[in-house]
Amino acid sequence: MEDYTKYRLKSNDELVELLSDKDKLFIVACNKCFKEFESVDEPDLDEFAALVTEQGKTITGTAKVDFLCNKIQTEKKLQGLIPEGTEYVAVVSCGLGIQTTANLVQMPIIAAANSLNYTGHHGMALTKKACDACGQCYLNMTGGICPIVDCSKSLLNGQCGGAKNGKCEVDPDKDCAWEKIYRRLEKQGRLEELAKQPVQLRDYSKVNFKVINDYVNEIREKRLDGYYGGVHPSERKELAEGIALKKFPEPAEVVIPMSMHAGAPAKPLVEVGDLVKVGQKIGEAGGFISANVHSSVSGKVVAVEPRLHPTKGGEVLSVVIASDGKDTVCETVKPAKALADLTGEEIVAIVQESGIVGMGGAGFPTSVKLKPAKPVDTILLNGCECEPLLTADHRVMLEQADDVIFGLQAVLKTVGAEKGIIVIEDNKPDAIELMQAKTADIDNVEVVVARTKYPQGAEKMLIKRVMNRQVPRGGLPADVGVVVCNISTVKAIADAIQTGMPLVERVVTVTGEKIKNPGNYIVKIGTSVKELVDYCGGFTDDDVKVQMGGPMMGFTLTDLNVPILKGSNGIIAIEPDETIEQPCIKCGRCVDVCPMELSPLYFSKYHDEQNWKGMLDINIRDCIECRSCEYICSSKIPLVTKIKAGKKAIMEMK
Amino acid sequence: MLITQLKSKETIASLVEDKKVFIINCKGCMEVHFPEKEADEFQKELAAGGKVTGIIKTDYICNPDNMKLRLKKHAAEIEAADVILVYSCGVGVQTISEYFDGKPVYAACDTIPMPGFQGVTPLEVDCDQCGECYLNLTGGICPITACSKSLLNGQCGGTKNGKCEVNSSMECGWERIYRRLAMMGRLDVLKYPVKIRNYATYKDVKAE
Repeated sequence: MEDYTKYRLKSNDELVELLSDKDKLFIVACNKCFKEFESVDEPDLDEFAALVTEQGKTITGTAKVDFLCNKIQTEKKLQGLIPEGTEYVAVVSCGLGIQTTANLVQMPIIAAANSLNYTGHHGMALTKKACDACGQCYLNMTGGICPIVDCSKSLLNGQCGGAKNGKCEVDPDKDCAWEKIYRRLEKQGRLEELAKQPVQLRDYSKVNFKVINDYVNEIREKRLDGYYGGVHPSERKELAEGIALKKFPEPAEVVIPMSMHAGAPAKPLVEVGDLVKVGQKIGEAGGFISANVHSSVSGKVVAVEPRLHPTKGGEVLSVVIASDGKDTVCETVKPAKALADLTGEEIVAIVQESGIVGMGGAGFPTSVKLKPAKPVDTILLNGCECEPLLTADHRVMLEQADDVIFGLQAVLKTVGAEKGIIVIEDNKPDAIELMQAKTADIDNVEVVVARTKYPQGAEKMLIKRVMNRQVPRGGLPADVGVVVCNISTVKAIADAIQTGMPLVERVVTVTGEKIKNPGNYIVKIGTSVKELVDYCGGFTDDDVKVQMGGPMMGFTLTDLNVPILKGSNGIIAIEPDETIEQPCIKCGRCVDVCPMELSPLYFSKYHDEQNWKGMLDINIRDCIECRSCEYICSSKIPLVTKIKAGKKAIMEMK
Repeated sequence: MLITQLKSKETIASLVEDKKVFIINCKGCMEVHFPEKEADEFQKELAAGGKVTGIIKTDYICNPDNMKLRLKKHAAEIEAADVILVYSCGVGVQTISEYFDGKPVYAACDTIPMPGFQGVTPLEVDCDQCGECYLNLTGGICPITACSKSLLNGQCGGTKNGKCEVNSSMECGWERIYRRLAMMGRLDVLKYPVKIRNYATYKDVKAE
């Protein structure tokens, strides 16, 4: 593999002279980038340190840092590291790292290395192709061979005439680029085109510092808006966002797993042959962190047995009910008192009885969330729906706005919070407008518009973005006085209070380029995914990947005979991407996008070495598995799979 | 690290006029740098004309093995096309044109460099990889990239109110250098002998 590392230590003589009048050095070295990620340790720091010691100088400390030019992370890493009494900070890095460090430490800097120049720039993958970024791409007239990089003289109007036997006169190891261009165009029958080409003059003024700087600043601003990192994948929401909610036809049979939530599975309350009605409790919460389960149809229990579960990777005890098609509602389903007359405890009891869990995917029992151990001042209602493709929450906000606001007010009352904030990403202007209008007269509720960025809907990011509060490592939102709720969850709370109907149905987006007729459906929990897909016209072709949830965090389904769960916000059918894992080249993209400010490249390395302790030490448990790193990875390393394996191994270690 | 800018609509249109086109989009190495919306619009217009055999969106065209895998699926669409239109940086266009050297491969974008030839982040600092780092003499502010004229031996004298005469929105690099050294009480550092830049490339240096 080509090594693109672009610095090396200055010569010994130069360094000796440089050090002659200096002492008390702190040395910072960059671990280098764009190279094979074989060893964590680079020799340059030790080499330089040995020279410094040899010169009889004191070293006050050393630090090896990954991607020294990442200002935000470097600032944190260097904090408190440079001891009192240090007079100089010596930096072993390319020019970017040296300048970044110089800007951060208010101390004289010693540049101990020189950057090396490669002709032309390169892509993110380590390829031999170079691009000089001239700003006026000539490849269209040269058959895709670059005259600027490939010709030693960067000639734009044909060969110089100095080539001998097809080799360049400047560099005999190099093929004459213009001969290559001629050959390729000849092959394509485009020689006439070449001959007719007017004389080209290179415009060196085009690459303007200001244009680039403005561009970069804009990008950085977007990337860092609200919280570090994140990505912005193609939204593709236009496929379904304009399609109104529709009630999905009554399924003939539902499979309701006893585990659709975080925590202990529920215990079934029914047996084969029992008759059940809509909203009847069929599973009792199996512990403090657990949730009740209700029937979504009226009919007869035909099986209580393990069935394939879409997200748990195996079979889970489920109640199978054949619908009688009558939709008879259970007698226990009755509206509660008016919200004003309900106490907080009563609301918690209703939420708990109704089996409501976080409907954004994680499925944490909502009743537990509504009894925070610490005082909470703000409820964040998460209307970001930052996953590409999904539009379920968007439609709920548009079509069930009053219920959503009712639910939010119920939560505010229960938790005793002063303020409710509905956070909506700026790609849903209609929802923003509607929510703003609906909440204009409500004093303690406001709408915050957030610039679209993934994973904004993740609790910790949302809190950082809206409240500028940092949830402590391993902590909960309540630690910083916040409770975060999903849009569909508060809608379910509203239903439970207003009609008494427990959580038996939800809105599911069925979408993706490979679905014939995308749509947003109100679906009964336990309905088969296959039935849903068939109803939407099936797939456009067989080359398809089906996921429950969004393209970033969703679960891939290999068998469509699985039920819709309380947390299933979407079924997507997308084009599978065919890639193979390649060696990490330390491009640093994963570090750049990780919203938890971790170093995913090390997770991959340690996973392959089975170094679980190492993974633990670099805070693998902080990873929220948002898949941003995997999305951006230039080597297409399945980082999240490796991280999950690492977490599992660490659990088993204990 | 590179950024792409779309070529003008007329230029792109003239490249594909009356031809059947297969389009490859690279979302680039930092997905946000690709002018996705504008590209989409134009591609939709093209597709409406019935001349597009296929459009794919991918990332890291420059990662050759994965690109081959991804293109395999679209072999028939590519075969049916007269030309391949690539929305990517120059590296991507060259990679694709090597795979299909019998078919015209056209670039729909111009490529411009971004500060930070590599490293994680394009920051407010830039490095020109000169091979003889001057930062020791200049308080850690690079005279090559922070000065429009890349002067090594002090200011040109053209500064007005601390702004560069070449680009008035840019601060004078040498004034910044002076201020930083003054702050550290190290103005004596500036009394170095006249420097002459050595333009040797990596190859020359390596050969030494």
